[in-house]
Amino acid sequence: MTTMLQEPPDVAVSAKLIIRNLNIFYGAFHAMKNASLDVPANNVTAFIGPSGCGKSTFIRALNRMHDLTPGARVEGEVLLDGEDIYAPSIDPVTIRHRIGMVFQRPNPFPKTIFENVVYGPRIHGIGGRAQLAEICERSLKRAALWDEVKDRLDRSALELSGGQQQRLCIARCLAVDPEVILMDEPASALDPIATSKIEDLINDLKKEYSVVIVTHSMQQAARISDLTAFFLMGELVEVGTTSQVFTKPEDKRTEDYITGRYG
Amino acid sequence: MATRAVDVVAATTIPKPKSMAAQTALVRIWTTGTAIICGALVLLMLLFLFAFAWPAIKYNGWTMLTSIYWNIGDQYATGTTVHNGVAAQPGANFGSLVFIYGTLMTSILAMLGAVPLSLLVAFALVYRIPARIRPGVNALVELMAGVPSVVYGLWGVVVLVPFIGQQLAPFVTSHLSGVPFVGGAAGSGNGLFASAVILALMVTPIMVATMRDVMLAQSKALYEASVALGSTSWQAVTRVVVPSVRNGVFASVLLAFGRALGETMAVLMVCGAAANEFPSNIFQTVNTIAAIIVSQLESASTDASGIAQRSLAELALILFVITLTINIIARLIMRGTDRLGKSNA
Ligand SMILES: Nc1ncnc2c1ncn2[C@@H]1O[C@H](COP(=O)(O)OP(=O)(O)OP(=O)(O)O)[C@@H](O)[C@H]1O
Ligand SMILES: [Mg+2]
Repeated sequence: MTTMLQEPPDVAVSAKLIIRNLNIFYGAFHAMKNASLDVPANNVTAFIGPSGCGKSTFIRALNRMHDLTPGARVEGEVLLDGEDIYAPSIDPVTIRHRIGMVFQRPNPFPKTIFENVVYGPRIHGIGGRAQLAEICERSLKRAALWDEVKDRLDRSALELSGGQQQRLCIARCLAVDPEVILMDEPASALDPIATSKIEDLINDLKKEYSVVIVTHSMQQAARISDLTAFFLMGELVEVGTTSQVFTKPEDKRTEDYITGRYG
Repeated sequence: MATRAVDVVAATTIPKPKSMAAQTALVRIWTTGTAIICGALVLLMLLFLFAFAWPAIKYNGWTMLTSIYWNIGDQYATGTTVHNGVAAQPGANFGSLVFIYGTLMTSILAMLGAVPLSLLVAFALVYRIPARIRPGVNALVELMAGVPSVVYGLWGVVVLVPFIGQQLAPFVTSHLSGVPFVGGAAGSGNGLFASAVILALMVTPIMVATMRDVMLAQSKALYEASVALGSTSWQAVTRVVVPSVRNGVFASVLLAFGRALGETMAVLMVCGAAANEFPSNIFQTVNTIAAIIVSQLESASTDASGIAQRSLAELALILFVITLTINIIARLIMRGTDRLGKSNA
């Protein structure tokens, strides 16, 4: 265990998300044990760890997706700009407006490309066609998809390739103009070329957003992230700058994982 | 050089595309063949029914569709009446309007209850029930779908009909006496309402199972995607989930409706076997095409002129045409909503 975790955060100014003593249960199963972590603004934070260690469980707590999982329970604090997103007075819907999420498998709506991108803005009450068109173009450009789809915005999103669909989902997420973007293995279903496009994109996104990404690939974490958090069996074992975690990990278990001893 | 290599590879594999083409051709022949055989079977069945029913169709004319009286005629009379060149016992009149009405009303009423219920249960199964107890509920649904209809019918006779006749109908009719379809005589418990309840119970598990599969297949990821974009649960359901499952749900409803229209045994046991009059409210007795065919089979076989049996075949033909028509209309509606979303199916 790293020691910094339980102390009051004096780095709060630059921390976008502050997670304290997070415990997550599925029924009686304790899936995340007392994890604490700071997510700095304008950085990429990567979550690594073996399958089933709780990476998705953790990241889904950051925009209250567990509200949708019957039987799931979250305890602890998740502060967004100092405000607890689990406070009773907070509407989870407004939280998800500020913290967007991209999923492992591309999940475009069975609608047109245009309607996919402007779905969020529409939900939040933007109705003007010109304004929506502007948002659509800006988001697709931001997601590096515009050139490939600008002539077929009114075609079904399901006609796109997997990699294009995933970038569409990122564009759809950006269209809501979130402050934090959570990505749960966004490239695991994609080929190397599509993956490298997504990685370039993530590198670009951190200029404006705070990005949290779950990845199975340590190379990917090393390539794109500034911070890395290592999870094992429902525990946040270690968190630090990516170079530190990969070159001189503090915990023996991290070292074993990095050097491939967990397979 | 690279193209050269590709050429060589292509040259060595020339026979392969050929045999693959042969395979695709075979698959095509196989699938179109199956489709043709299925279509031909349906057509043959229709033709057979039509040919067998032909004398009845000639004898009955439009009476079949416009009259409410079903009477196989005086079986002890010496002479016969002849109409349109077809002989029948004196007094014979084959009108099916009561049965058509009963068939449609029991099924529609059943679907009015069963569709919302099934949607709710399927939704709960996919989105609301913890993963731990889901298999148990699923098994229960499958079990209910497999219960033979005669068991539902028997439960209807023993439990449902007495409850309606002694408790529900007297209560409802006395409190809502002026309301059409509901007020009026309470009846015995057998009838339109009992039939609809039984049918609803029978088709609900089928619909839940198919709707659940449709929702699981595509909509859960979309639901999460929508919520993650800051939509409310309701917005996610109405804007994304419902459109994405609409066709599948519609198909499931259709399947269930067809099943309800044709259900025989359970309805026969609780419908009260009405004849020659329409029910004055939902607690009065009815009859359906499927039920009347079974219940009339024996007396029809004693009909000296044989026309009663052929009229039953004409009834079957009518039921067939009703289900076919509903299917075709539904398919046309679905084609209209099918434009988006199917391209990666
Ligand atoms: N809805 C659920 N109900 C019950 N248990 C769950 C649920 N979701 C996850 N779990 C359990 O919680 C643990 C952590 O799962 P999680 O999906 O967070 O792992 P992960 O690190 O994301 O794994 P992967 O790399 O395979 O995606 C696992 O043991 C898993 O079986
Ligand atoms: Mg995961």
